[in-house]
Amino acid sequence: MTKVLVVDDDVALVKALRIGLTARGDEVATAQSGVEGINQVALFHPDLVILDLGLPDLDGLEVCRRIREFSDVPVIVLSAYGDERRKVEALDGGADDFITKPFGMAELEARLRVAVRHSAARTGNGTDLSGTMTIGDLEIDLVHHMATRGGTVLTLTSREFDLLAYLARYAGKVCTHHMILKDVWGPGYGAESNYVRVYTHRLRKKLNDDEGRLLRTVPGIGYQLVADAPAD
Amino acid sequence: MQALNGTYRHAALAIAAALAAQGAALAVLLPFRSHLSVATPALVFLIPVIIGVVVGGFWAGALAAVTGFLFYDIFFLPPYGTLTVHAASNWLALVVYLVVVLVVARVVTQLHTARDEARRREQEAGRLFELSQALIGDIGISELLDHIVITVQTVFAPRWTALLLPAALPAGSDGPDLRVAARAGQGLTADELTSLTASGGQIRSLGMDRTGPPSRVAVALVASNRPVGLLVLQEVQFARQDRALLGTFANQAALAVERAQLRDQALRTRLLEEIDRWRGAMMGAVSHDLRTPLASVKAAVSSLRQEGTALNDVDRAELLELIELQSDRLARLVTNLLDMTRIESGALAVRPTLMPLDELVDESLAAVNGLVPRRRVHIDAPPDLPLLEIDHVLMGQVLANLLENAARLCPDGSPICIGAQSIGTPTAPFVEISVADEGPGIAAEERERVFEMFSQNGGGARSGLGLAIAKAFVEAHGGSIWIDPGVARGTRVVFTVPAATNVPQRV
Repeated sequence: MTKVLVVDDDVALVKALRIGLTARGDEVATAQSGVEGINQVALFHPDLVILDLGLPDLDGLEVCRRIREFSDVPVIVLSAYGDERRKVEALDGGADDFITKPFGMAELEARLRVAVRHSAARTGNGTDLSGTMTIGDLEIDLVHHMATRGGTVLTLTSREFDLLAYLARYAGKVCTHHMILKDVWGPGYGAESNYVRVYTHRLRKKLNDDEGRLLRTVPGIGYQLVADAPAD
Repeated sequence: MQALNGTYRHAALAIAAALAAQGAALAVLLPFRSHLSVATPALVFLIPVIIGVVVGGFWAGALAAVTGFLFYDIFFLPPYGTLTVHAASNWLALVVYLVVVLVVARVVTQLHTARDEARRREQEAGRLFELSQALIGDIGISELLDHIVITVQTVFAPRWTALLLPAALPAGSDGPDLRVAARAGQGLTADELTSLTASGGQIRSLGMDRTGPPSRVAVALVASNRPVGLLVLQEVQFARQDRALLGTFANQAALAVERAQLRDQALRTRLLEEIDRWRGAMMGAVSHDLRTPLASVKAAVSSLRQEGTALNDVDRAELLELIELQSDRLARLVTNLLDMTRIESGALAVRPTLMPLDELVDESLAAVNGLVPRRRVHIDAPPDLPLLEIDHVLMGQVLANLLENAARLCPDGSPICIGAQSIGTPTAPFVEISVADEGPGIAAEERERVFEMFSQNGGGARSGLGLAIAKAFVEAHGGSIWIDPGVARGTRVVFTVPAATNVPQRV
């Protein structure tokens, strides 16, 4: 059972989500303003937050930042169509994923599953004492700079390994071009999104992931490393 | 022609005055002829010459000099009555007189001409200054063109002045590409107008030249090597200096016209940018407003369709109700959008009928269809409130929009209070209606802005259309709408509507 907090000022949508998610077996709490949402994160300890960007009191981006000050709970942002700039800002500000209104429950649930699963991996035994991360059949040994997929050792350059390790550390989260450049290439970078495109392309070849199922492209925004969802 | 006549008449007058003065001098001197020395009449005969020169110029002076010479010789140098002069000394006196007179006439004339020239230059400088003063002002192009032709008309006094500009014609069309943009003076006949535009079209190579009928002067206005227009003066008398003045004038005018055109262009560009930005905001707001109910409908429907979820009957009923309510909300939004286009296109017609407040409230509650239960609404109105004289469709929409906002912003079911009181004068009675909720309220700096089309209060919490439409409809009734700044909690929207004279609501 997942504890989900829905923060949105639209009563109807909150109600639809509450009924839909409860029927799926989740425990749902709701908040209709940014301040209430932040308080609920502290009190209710949700496993996941669904956050609307347009709130009456606080900007959704601000809410996201304030939640990040004390909690690593995955945040999925609800945004309007075409609002790419705000999406990127939200992701840079700590949100894990976004979903564009209007959306179906199946899509929302898929996003919830990915976010919760990877979040658990991150906070739990994702990186064990030997410094190894496991994402599905992908294993990354941070100490020995070695990565295997399904037991096969991958020959990666140092930059490719850094990129893969970075995405793995944030598995399940949508990483924007800007974040990747800043953290993998260095603080002097930020606008050269074509570098990222070239390296993800090479990584996919080596990961045998030409369709981008493991290393997903989020068009116009960035990339997301997702272990293939277990069949359910 | 008139100016010419004036000049001739002036010269004739001056000559007549000079001759009369000569005659008078002769009449005064003649009786004392025997007592005077030979030189005295010569000095007296100088006076009319100077008068002639000063009043009528050199030739009037010269004529006076010749007369004076003859009078002196005939009447004062013996033998009297003939042109013959005997004594050598008398010869000398006569020659000295002639020389002195001519020199004086010449000098005075030159002084005169120099003074006239100075005065004329001063006037020119003054006119050019006035013109440049007018041209540097921040005035629109049509005003500027009027200014140019009026100044030309005053300074050069042609029969009429016309300013032609290239007309915006579809590319490839063959017609005259000049049109008269401004004119001054009288008697610009239709024929002349056609002759102007028909002969136009070639202002590129045209300098200051006479074109068409004689005494018509056309000057091309050229700025930055680009012809901007053509200045035409009909039947104008030109001195040589006037040509130069007109040329200077035309150059200044050309620069000013070009500048004004560029300014107009810049203004238009800025307006287009403004419209673009507004359109962007509108698309964003409309998209947001339509998507919000759509999002909950889609979420609810997809829950209902999903297999393997444990929805009980209560959940299903709730989801179905939600879908219905949100569909209504969508429909209202579409109505609002259509209303907005009616307002925008100016097709908003108010058809007032008499209606009590209660009925209006019922109508608007029906319009928001279950979003606000009747029991949540409290009406606070005096029993003698007059009937409202309103278009019930439009005003129902106003109240519905306000109720919808109130309901959406306080979802906890807190009461919504509709207040009403009679205001205005007995001849122009109005009723002030207010809708108060206990929601989060509107910040002071937002109170004006919420009525703007597509404004979004607090990141899209409020419909971008509802209040703007309410404002348009209320104003179409001659009323006004505002947010009460005096409430401590929640929002109180107040608007005024016309009421019936002397008809109480409950008889």
